[in-house]
Amino acid sequence: MDCRTALGKIVAKADGLLTRQDEAELADHLAGCPACAAEDAAIAATGPALRALTGIRAMGKGAALDAMGTRVRAGIGEVRETRRRSSRLARWVWIPAAVALAVSALLFYPAGTDRSPFHPSSFDVAVEDVESDAATVALVDKGEDLPRVIWIIEDAKT
Amino acid sequence: MSEREKGGVPDDALIRAAVAGDDGAFGELVERYKGRAFAVAVGIVGDGDAALDVVQDSFIKTYYKLKEFRFGSNFYTWFYRLLVNQAIDRWRKSARSAEVPFDESWLSGDASPPDSFSYPRTPEELARDRELGDALQRAVDALPEYHRAVIVLREVDGMAYDEIAKVLGCSVGTVMSRLHYARGKLKESLKSHRGG
Repeated sequence: MDCRTALGKIVAKADGLLTRQDEAELADHLAGCPACAAEDAAIAATGPALRALTGIRAMGKGAALDAMGTRVRAGIGEVRETRRRSSRLARWVWIPAAVALAVSALLFYPAGTDRSPFHPSSFDVAVEDVESDAATVALVDKGEDLPRVIWIIEDAKT
Repeated sequence: MSEREKGGVPDDALIRAAVAGDDGAFGELVERYKGRAFAVAVGIVGDGDAALDVVQDSFIKTYYKLKEFRFGSNFYTWFYRLLVNQAIDRWRKSARSAEVPFDESWLSGDASPPDSFSYPRTPEELARDRELGDALQRAVDALPEYHRAVIVLREVDGMAYDEIAKVLGCSVGTVMSRLHYARGKLKESLKSHRGG
């Protein structure tokens, strides 16, 4: 085996891709070639050296790693609370917007109906909060006869 | 079944329980993988404290993404994809502004001159050879992020090539080429400090 072939096999050996026969041939070559033997030793040392370096960098973190479960639980709780807060905020933010929309609709209720001239006092705006993320906003025309719901928003998606 | 599942509840069962609201089941997954995850994170970000944050954040993200897990696939390759991306993001943000110093506290006693073919195999041996430790650290830090991820997954975690490919979303050929490059760089740093 020449040195060029040996270098290819040294890399393959480090990757665990050599057959037993290839490994034996390589060993024969390395026994008589100090340059290739040095290359082989250095390549073979990369894994253990990297693990040693990682070990040094990880030193002293055992206690923190033991507490990882607690850290993760606390983090999950924080994220959950943040999401709950923003969901609560989203639930309440749209209600004033819907009320404003309802009031403006009330003020600009179209002419051409049989109840003109328009008179705001004949309308009710009902806002009803419900337990979920939704609330109901209803614009009710009280009219002269029976009350009539003319616009209803059932939830934030409507 | 993964090594970690032997003798215990399978990952899939824990995931199903966690999705159903059993936080204890998710806690078991954390216990099962935190050590491996930490070693990989340290290898990529190069700092123990930062690695702890990366592991914590990865588990939290995993918890909220558990519903997306495809049963039948490996939990740990799925989790590692998230972990490695999180670690690479962390490393990019730090932008290596402050180099992690080689820990001199590990130096003890007189460092004996190294044998030309002998390389450190343990943290203790590496710590006794400060120059080599520094050189190796520089070589690791200088590796492109995905090359570093590949060699860490292979050498520190012991992952198979096809698993690394799944984690990084690339081909096995790409994994092997990155590994070859990374190993070559580390080898150069080792040899240059042994007069090679």
